[in-house]
Amino acid sequence: MANIRAVQKALDALGIGKLEARPWRRSVVLEGRVRTWQDYIRAGYAAAGKGFKGVVNDIEVEGLEREREYIPPVRDNTLEGKQFDVIVIGGGVIGCAIARELTRWQLRVAVLEKEDDVAKQTSSRNNGMIHPGIAPARGTKKLHYNILGNRMYTQAARELGFALERCGSLILLEKSWYRLLAPLAKQQALQKGVDGVILLSRREVFRREPYATPAQRGGVLLPSAGVVAPYDVTVAFAENAVENGAQVFLHTMVQGFAMEHDRIARVLTNRGRIRAKVVVNAAGVWADKVAGWANDRFFTIHGRKGTIAILDKKTRAYQSGVLAMPRLGSKAHTKGGGINPTVEGNLLMGPNAVEVPWREDWSTGPEDMEFLLSRHLPLNTRLRPGDIITYFAGVRACTFEEDFVVEPSEYVANLVHAAGIQSPGLAAAPAIARDVAEMAVKLLSGVMEVRPNPRFNPVRRPNPRLTDLSLEERALLIRSNPAYGRIVCRCEAVSEGEIVAAVKSPVPALSVDAVKRRVRAGMGRCQGGFCTPAVLDILARETGVPPTRVVKGRPGSELVLAPTKEPGEGSADA
Amino acid sequence: MRKDWDVIVIGAGPAGLAAAAAACDAGAGVCLVERESRPGGILKQCIHDGFGLVRYGEKLTGPEYAWRDIEAVRRRNIPIWTETFLLELQRAGDGFVLTMQNREQAVFQLTARALVAATGCRERTARQIFIHGQRPAGIYTAGTVQHMINIQGYLPGRRCVILGSGDIGLIMARRLVLEGARVEGVYEIKPEPSGLTRNLVQCLQDYNIPLHLSTTVTRVLGRERVEGVVVCPADENLRPLPDRGRIVPCDTLVLSVGLIPENDILEPLGVELNPRTGGPVVDQRLAANVPGLFSCGNALHVNDLVDYVSESGEIAGRAAAAYALGRTQPSNHAELVPEGDILYAVPGRLDLAAGGKAVIYLRANRTIGNARLTISAGDKTVLRKRYPVLRPPEMERIVLDLADLPAGAGAVKLSLRGEENG
Repeated sequence: MANIRAVQKALDALGIGKLEARPWRRSVVLEGRVRTWQDYIRAGYAAAGKGFKGVVNDIEVEGLEREREYIPPVRDNTLEGKQFDVIVIGGGVIGCAIARELTRWQLRVAVLEKEDDVAKQTSSRNNGMIHPGIAPARGTKKLHYNILGNRMYTQAARELGFALERCGSLILLEKSWYRLLAPLAKQQALQKGVDGVILLSRREVFRREPYATPAQRGGVLLPSAGVVAPYDVTVAFAENAVENGAQVFLHTMVQGFAMEHDRIARVLTNRGRIRAKVVVNAAGVWADKVAGWANDRFFTIHGRKGTIAILDKKTRAYQSGVLAMPRLGSKAHTKGGGINPTVEGNLLMGPNAVEVPWREDWSTGPEDMEFLLSRHLPLNTRLRPGDIITYFAGVRACTFEEDFVVEPSEYVANLVHAAGIQSPGLAAAPAIARDVAEMAVKLLSGVMEVRPNPRFNPVRRPNPRLTDLSLEERALLIRSNPAYGRIVCRCEAVSEGEIVAAVKSPVPALSVDAVKRRVRAGMGRCQGGFCTPAVLDILARETGVPPTRVVKGRPGSELVLAPTKEPGEGSADA
Repeated sequence: MRKDWDVIVIGAGPAGLAAAAAACDAGAGVCLVERESRPGGILKQCIHDGFGLVRYGEKLTGPEYAWRDIEAVRRRNIPIWTETFLLELQRAGDGFVLTMQNREQAVFQLTARALVAATGCRERTARQIFIHGQRPAGIYTAGTVQHMINIQGYLPGRRCVILGSGDIGLIMARRLVLEGARVEGVYEIKPEPSGLTRNLVQCLQDYNIPLHLSTTVTRVLGRERVEGVVVCPADENLRPLPDRGRIVPCDTLVLSVGLIPENDILEPLGVELNPRTGGPVVDQRLAANVPGLFSCGNALHVNDLVDYVSESGEIAGRAAAAYALGRTQPSNHAELVPEGDILYAVPGRLDLAAGGKAVIYLRANRTIGNARLTISAGDKTVLRKRYPVLRPPEMERIVLDLADLPAGAGAVKLSLRGEENG
């Protein structure tokens, strides 16, 4: 039962200023002013769980610097007047998976992504876990989609040709008496639908993970847990969608909707106004903003940043699967991260969880590294700070209800939301995509006849990767195309042929970082020191632009500024 | 083409080229494997001069220095597989099997009785020294900048900050100015510079580029391209003092913060590495713990001058040839134990059975004056040397005649003691 008085009471109890709660449709809207972002977050959570569908947190924070949201510096009319059956807003793993599901039907599908590539935000900035489903509470969408999605990954990996390693996850118990609760936890996990739960004694943990922290007092092994490279998965979904007729438009930002009664009539973008019969909101950290354009903002997204450190491949031999040791009783809305293998043969540690007011600020700070070094590194006694080769941050798109929003809009006739998708969103992606596609098709059925796509081919042929091949296969490939014979990235042993293939793939890699996400050039221990100059030349040659126009990622991230032997501006002697 | 070799040298930089020529002169059948398209290693992009003073008594540019070694290898008809990448390295019998790939031969194997690893080093990166912020374009290691400017002809930035006063950083500071860029300053976290004195004078002072000691970069600003860096003073424990940070606007951050010997391909062989140098533990023949494996150049330890890189290549090449041709005795090793103010010393052990003269390279762990170096075995001191001043950036080279050691020496002590603020 929605109880506005309970919300108001909870807000008042915080003692952080005069805040007001008012009902709006089936949600609750919070208004007022607070001093800090932490207070804003506390207010949001205080209002959650009081029977409302969503918490819309419109509380202002005094003196808070507004976020410089990225807006692509492109303005043209290339999409003006175009018509699609479905527009998917957002080229993350959710949007791309939905697009691929939609191509099972004869539909004109477009993915609009404001960034320069797919998988640019949270979808390439997470730890790649395919969670087993033990963490979400019963009755949540998180649990439902996590359990289903985890199972669906086996087939998705086979069809789409991305690596999936079901290495299992081992949750270490911090205190001996947790062992008493373990059988209960196991029973609950099995009731939730988790595929396999095995209780391990302290000795059994050491047998499986000889370098596990001596602080462990046994553990819970979840064999269905796996890891993927999240950018590989996203690219695979996107490419298969394109192969089946969908279109991906990059540098294309949705900036509003033109509404006609209860329908989105046009999607307004920096590249023109587009007509769509159905719109899917998979806009990640900005999903609430997109909902707002359709006057359907019944939830607020807040960013929760996580920093992840990648360890040298030498460390892979020190651990067989995922290791984590959550602190029970802590209030953090995260499983707390741990140490994972990656499908490429590294270990990674993290992420931590920090509430942040900026949704696209992926900067890391010393305090994040200190947290990873003090909390995660000791889980494996063989690891050293010097094993870290790089680190980065991502921002989770959280609602205050801490659950996914996967549903057709209650008020807009042609809008489906796939919002608030945070951990375990990657694991849940295939299941969310299937449901969202069905919801979209159901809406379409009211306005058109929707037929299955007879030419849909679920199988993608990924570009060859030398490191996946036997020596014989490698030799054959090089003989057929000698560009595969020239190694460009020495740390990850990536050839020129692989880079050229990535540039020419269905969702082409047109920047140094996009190449890195496709083929790993620059992801190794020298972090691109040797290969960046070579990748730059290959990109310039293959895309026909001058080297000074080759970018690291977004427009404006040019790598070199001028040819030498021409006077540079700002010359010291000028 | 021949498949079985006495000696295979991995890497055709100055160390590998010298090793190949020396192995050939010692009578071994030898070839070189190089992953780049041309031999010469990093010297190809070092177009400044100052190379060769010790070895040739004249100042050469990097390409000139390399040219002499490349010619020496050509005259001896030593084959070089260029653009050839080593995929797997395995022991087989009493030798090695190398599985490689290139454009022409696709995948192929060579075998060798002895192996010289002359694989050089890589540069430490921004993340490895914990610089924070986002990851915009414009953060490069000094070697990458050198490659872009000198090999490719691209100017990577117009307004640059250089972190680290290593030699490549100093040289690139000058190079960037010569190409019309502005260098805001060189920042060094340590209280003293890491580069050679001559580079401090010729690259910074002569071009009025400020050097800020006990100062480091803690954060990069900018989203797409670098827009500035936060520089901070550091305390005596090299910890930045964040309260005293200030912003230096720039579009490029160039890092010269250390080199890491590259021996990753040797790991499957079970090679023993020295944690101080990052290179294999070797004896005076530069033989590693794996029989038949020799190491030289910057893969063994980071050298200050290429002349010493070449010298170590010659030693390793000669020793590898002797090993391959069955001219070595069973070894009898004594540890060479560094003491006092020594950062590291190479070699780490002495093969008393092999005898001859041992070339020992060492670095002091701090700047010291009135330093005394002694080599002793048991209670016998076999070598004494005095230095008015020793600085960590400058390597010392001494020659020890093993015949001077007492018979049956167990461990040999290498001791360095000096006074602070020399």
